[in-house]
Amino acid sequence: MNLSAEELEKLRRKLRFKVCHEVGFACPDVDDIVQETIARFLAASEEQTIRNKEAAAAFSNGVCRNVISEYRRRSLRDEPMPEVVPEPPGRALPEADLFEIRQAIAHGLAQLPDRDRRILRAFYLEEKTKEEILKQTGLTDQNFRVILFRAKEKFRAIYLEQMKHPSDRRHSGI
Amino acid sequence: MSLDWHGDPVHREEMNRNYLSRRLAPELAARFEDHYLGCDECYAELRAAELLIQALGEPILERHRVNDVTVLRFTEPSQLLASSLELNELSKAIRVENDSKVLIDLSKVSRIDSTGLGVLMHCYCHAVKNSGVLKLLNPDAPVKRVLSVTKIDTVLQSFEDESAAIASFQASPV
Repeated sequence: MNLSAEELEKLRRKLRFKVCHEVGFACPDVDDIVQETIARFLAASEEQTIRNKEAAAAFSNGVCRNVISEYRRRSLRDEPMPEVVPEPPGRALPEADLFEIRQAIAHGLAQLPDRDRRILRAFYLEEKTKEEILKQTGLTDQNFRVILFRAKEKFRAIYLEQMKHPSDRRHSGI
Repeated sequence: MSLDWHGDPVHREEMNRNYLSRRLAPELAARFEDHYLGCDECYAELRAAELLIQALGEPILERHRVNDVTVLRFTEPSQLLASSLELNELSKAIRVENDSKVLIDLSKVSRIDSTGLGVLMHCYCHAVKNSGVLKLLNPDAPVKRVLSVTKIDTVLQSFEDESAAIASFQASPV
């Protein structure tokens, strides 16, 4: 099975996000882990171990999990576990090179009506269920879906816009 | 068992939210990763949800201290109604921190109902129980009217000017 250069780049980007999610965005070895995953993935492709593209994603995820496990074992061997496990790094994007993204998302949020923001906060931050929100706010199921759709549409557009200039977004995992 | 990742958009958002907050069971998280690594649409939705959560994560209730007075201020237009989620924020902010001198800036609060008044009174009782004082700053005309009609303004002192409000805490020490 052969992946085009574009498909491989997409996979690399997604793997990078997955690795960042798992080991933390501040981990200095994220790129090494991704690179090792891709190298093993390509080696398996050449040996015809991966039969189809549908299975390739799951296979790459399995390889990535193995690489992360090995990385963690190595880290533990080299640096004993601290007595107090540090909090995972915040998911906030790094300040220096992401001013534009901050501006874009702040602008995106400002375009949403106040009510929508309150509903979205309840759903995403307070992790309330749809049913709890409908009961608390008196919204209908349809209203709720519209609010969610409207917000996602804006933020999907922001994400896709950022994707057009990926060269300086490496630290964000984008 | 195959999961329908593209079926219900609300369910997909719950999946995105729980994955990003690391609340998915490991097996389900792995299956979700298997899927999004091969699905551009779901990956874009996941990243859009991440940006949206980041934007929403900016605090809606800002806290700062002037001398020994804690000033709480809503960072965006708010309503203190039974259906509003700001009430939780306000109540938490008062109960968790146990500040003895609190000034709540209501300039961005456009409406208040009996539940909102109840929370304000609850905050006031909490402050008094802890030998503290709670005062209000800049209530909007409709809010001021409700405070007056319910005679709550005889219990909760209101000020138009922040420095005068701060000075009043010094004049009547706890």
